[in-house]
Amino acid sequence: MTAGAGYAPAVETVAEVAATHAREADETATFPTEALAAMRRTGLLGLLVPADDGGAGGTLTDLVDVTLALGRVDMSVAMVFAMHCQQVAAITAYGGEKLRAEVLPAVARGERYLGSVTTEAGKGGHLLTAESALTHDGEMLGIDRAAPIVTGGPYADAFLITTRAPDAGSAARVDLVYADRDQLEVEVTGGWRPLGMRATHSVPMRLRGAVPQWQVVGEHGAFREIATTVFAPLAHVGWAAAWLGAAAGAYARVLRHARSEAGRRQFAPSSELVLLRLAGIRTRLDAAHALLRHTVAVVDDAPDMSASPVQLLLNTLKIRAAEESFAAAHELVELTGLRHGYLTDSPLALERTFRDLRSASLNYANDRLRLANGALSLRDPGVRLA
Amino acid sequence: MNAEFTELLRPFLKFAGADEITEESRLRDLGLDSMREIELLFAIEETFGVAVPDDKLVDSTFATAGGLWSVVEDLRTPVGGGSR
Repeated sequence: MTAGAGYAPAVETVAEVAATHAREADETATFPTEALAAMRRTGLLGLLVPADDGGAGGTLTDLVDVTLALGRVDMSVAMVFAMHCQQVAAITAYGGEKLRAEVLPAVARGERYLGSVTTEAGKGGHLLTAESALTHDGEMLGIDRAAPIVTGGPYADAFLITTRAPDAGSAARVDLVYADRDQLEVEVTGGWRPLGMRATHSVPMRLRGAVPQWQVVGEHGAFREIATTVFAPLAHVGWAAAWLGAAAGAYARVLRHARSEAGRRQFAPSSELVLLRLAGIRTRLDAAHALLRHTVAVVDDAPDMSASPVQLLLNTLKIRAAEESFAAAHELVELTGLRHGYLTDSPLALERTFRDLRSASLNYANDRLRLANGALSLRDPGVRLA
Repeated sequence: MNAEFTELLRPFLKFAGADEITEESRLRDLGLDSMREIELLFAIEETFGVAVPDDKLVDSTFATAGGLWSVVEDLRTPVGGGSR
């Protein structure tokens, strides 16, 4: 598989499978195992693996295109895919030679779906601190990490885990460490009963085990830099694409319905109220999409990802994509009314999209990012717009 | 680094305790977070009478105590050579 149009058939296959199982996965809050199997089979899991390592050598734009397409049919599948790609990008950019050789070709072959373990009880969602530490265990590094939310954790073949660095003087010195499932004792410590994004199956887990030194991604304490250059940008861009895809998919279903014979009777498409509402929703999608693509262009060219204008833009993307996508879903519900907007068994599935997108502002909280942007704004009195 | 600078830094480094702050001290590891960074910046500008230009306000400037001090020093040096 190569990047560019080469992955289009793979995306189509995975989207079809995801669409077939989306309702059931939502109802039962279970992981989309069929969609994951299709990602493995088609090589889509290796989208961001460099061509030299057997992958598609995909770019950030490719990640956006694929995630948008998957989001249209199942937001949870899109989130799972984007977060896996975030892990791949971190290993590609910061992993040592041995780690890259061990992991990347296996990902490209569809053998490794990577889970992310960054949440931790008691740190209030702060990404850049860690309470539990790596410990010296002979030649190995010991891990004992509890995490309240691990997306797809029970189905991951390996994990990237944030921990406090060994012998660290503070919780702010954080490592990112790779661990295979068979190096760990994996315990699911609770259930997953959320309002939406139910198929992400993000359960609490405890992971215990030991890994060799070369499985630390980058130097000890490197997670802060990895977060700035890879983790946060890919999270914000990937989530924004998943959310926008979900809203765009819902909008497309409503438009098709409105143009059908039954829909025309219900909607009176010539009504100015309907036209104004449709236009308002489209404006939200176009604005979020423009911001998403512009942010990708800025990230692709940024000489220093820590510069305030770049950080501000990335946070604005996350905040705004969450708001616009949910507002679009909310307005679609209002437009279509009780039967198609609110009932679970409507083929338009707006109710599911609405629940899914309600999570967007909370998934790394918008308010936390607004606080960060306030401080970043003061760091940029020249208002250098990126 | 002069003592005035290290004493100015100390309250922003909640994990430094009573340890000596050296040029190699990593400010992030010692507890400087992005929310407090702006307060530190204001304190530096007021204390040393400098204005840190926007393009210096990147993570690398705030990486170590010595690195931050050298930025401050450069700004205190008069344009055209600094033979004071």
